[in-house]
Amino acid sequence: METVLQTNNLEKKYKDFKALNGANIHIEKGAIYGLIGKNGAGKTTLIRIICGLQEPTNGDFSIYGVNNNDNNIANIRKRMGAIIESPSIYGEMSAKDNLIEQYKLVGMPSLDGIEELLELVGLENTGKKCVKNFSLGMKQRLGIAIALASNPDFLILDEPINGLDPQGIIEMRELILRLNKERRITILISSHYLDELSKIATHYGFLDKGSIIKEISSVELMERMEHKFTLKVNNLKDFVKYFEENKISYEVMDNRTIDVYGKYNLSKFIRDLSKKNLIVDEIHETEESLENYYMNLIGGIKND
Amino acid sequence: MIRLLNAGFTRLRKNKVFWILSIFTIGFALLILSVKYGNMKRYGETVEVGQLLLNYPIIIGIVIAIFTSLFLGVEYSDGTLRNKISIGHKRINIYLSNLVLITITSLLFYIIFFIIIIMIGIPLFSVGTISVTQLLIKTLIAFITIIAYSSIFTFFASVISNKTIIAITTILISFLLMIFGIYCYSMLNTPKTIEQVTIENGETKVEKVPNPKYPNEQMMKVYQALLDVNPAGQMFQLGERSSKLEILPLYSFLNLLTFTGLGFVLFQKKELK
Repeated sequence: METVLQTNNLEKKYKDFKALNGANIHIEKGAIYGLIGKNGAGKTTLIRIICGLQEPTNGDFSIYGVNNNDNNIANIRKRMGAIIESPSIYGEMSAKDNLIEQYKLVGMPSLDGIEELLELVGLENTGKKCVKNFSLGMKQRLGIAIALASNPDFLILDEPINGLDPQGIIEMRELILRLNKERRITILISSHYLDELSKIATHYGFLDKGSIIKEISSVELMERMEHKFTLKVNNLKDFVKYFEENKISYEVMDNRTIDVYGKYNLSKFIRDLSKKNLIVDEIHETEESLENYYMNLIGGIKND
Repeated sequence: MIRLLNAGFTRLRKNKVFWILSIFTIGFALLILSVKYGNMKRYGETVEVGQLLLNYPIIIGIVIAIFTSLFLGVEYSDGTLRNKISIGHKRINIYLSNLVLITITSLLFYIIFFIIIIMIGIPLFSVGTISVTQLLIKTLIAFITIIAYSSIFTFFASVISNKTIIAITTILISFLLMIFGIYCYSMLNTPKTIEQVTIENGETKVEKVPNPKYPNEQMMKVYQALLDVNPAGQMFQLGERSSKLEILPLYSFLNLLTFTGLGFVLFQKKELK
């Protein structure tokens, strides 16, 4: 599978503050990669660096295999479209004029396709109305149309549903899915609306304090989310050894807590553990959500 | 670069500030013509079209400052600069295309003024005593000064990230350049002597004494250099008949190189949000 974006120990320092602290992400072609992290985790900084708005303090990244220090990186960015924080649109111009402007910027040979793009994002009836008078949802959709003007293979959307009403969120979700399925566009989407991300993402990267603490596919995540129980134990090392030997998927959350993933008969599972003198003090079966998974992940890392 | 210019000129055609300033330029030219025509009719004043053509450059700095700050300022406020970079345009090309766009538009404002004055002024007034060659040289120097002005304001509009601060800074600078130009100009025209009135034995005597405020030779050179390097100062000198103007384009090129070079470096390193 072709790698669209890979970052290697990316660091970004603002004076004494490390916004990125060795972030490593890998995005494969065709993925909808959900970049998850709370405000200030470094999501936007990471995106700004990828888009060339800022330079990393340390580390590097490659887009379609081209390193950021390579002179060809600007050419590779022509295969990208991006909305960073807010859509890049001229408020005094109409939606169509904004698209004409973008067509000229990307060097499209003709203006064919503008009407289709407007239709795709549901703005075909906006006429000469100035974009500054659009609703936030309309601006976001126009931002996507602008990002699509160059027929990109890779789309970066930074918080695309921030401030949208429920209808706008649904429209945005459907649009992103269509772009991924119909046009095979790889999408990096950052958000802290986890429920919404869980409806579209095929892969996740969890960013905390400037580092990617976990990358996981949605299939794997669903498996974990659906079948998870939390054990409170005293002899953590023995449990870890047993799980490793028996290839049981687990995650240490703190020095007494361990999460086990997968489908197991609970009574048999406990009996098997007892046979090895592994005593469980407490057990909780958890109904997992992406939100819980994220919170546990952040908590787990915190208590390591 | 060509794509950036193509997009830039497409936006220019739809830009309200551009059209407002074009109308202002036409209005300013018509105002000058009507005032001068009134003076000619009422007071018999001799009006020379050649001289009128050099009136607009005096205030063109303010026009360029307003246009640059509002036209380029939105690149930050509307986030469109981010878009240009993220789709693969090099920063140096973005800077250069902005400079070209601002320069051509600023020259266009002057050309509009020029055409109105020529078309209406020549049938109304005399061409004047200024020779065509001299007028062409002065116009060419004005063009070069406009390029220097454009490079200065493009610099500020590129290195400052806030539209309001860009507008305040560039407009303030345009006024400061004018005020400073007037100051240097007045210092250079300080009379060498002044009249001093004394009363001796009840008699009033008027005598000429050296002006204590008259700058020494060294300071005169400094004021002249400051006037020459200042685009507003250059425009003042263009209206003068006796000025030595050959040096002015050199100072303009110096301004262009300094501000554009510095602008490239700072804009290249600028962290965008």
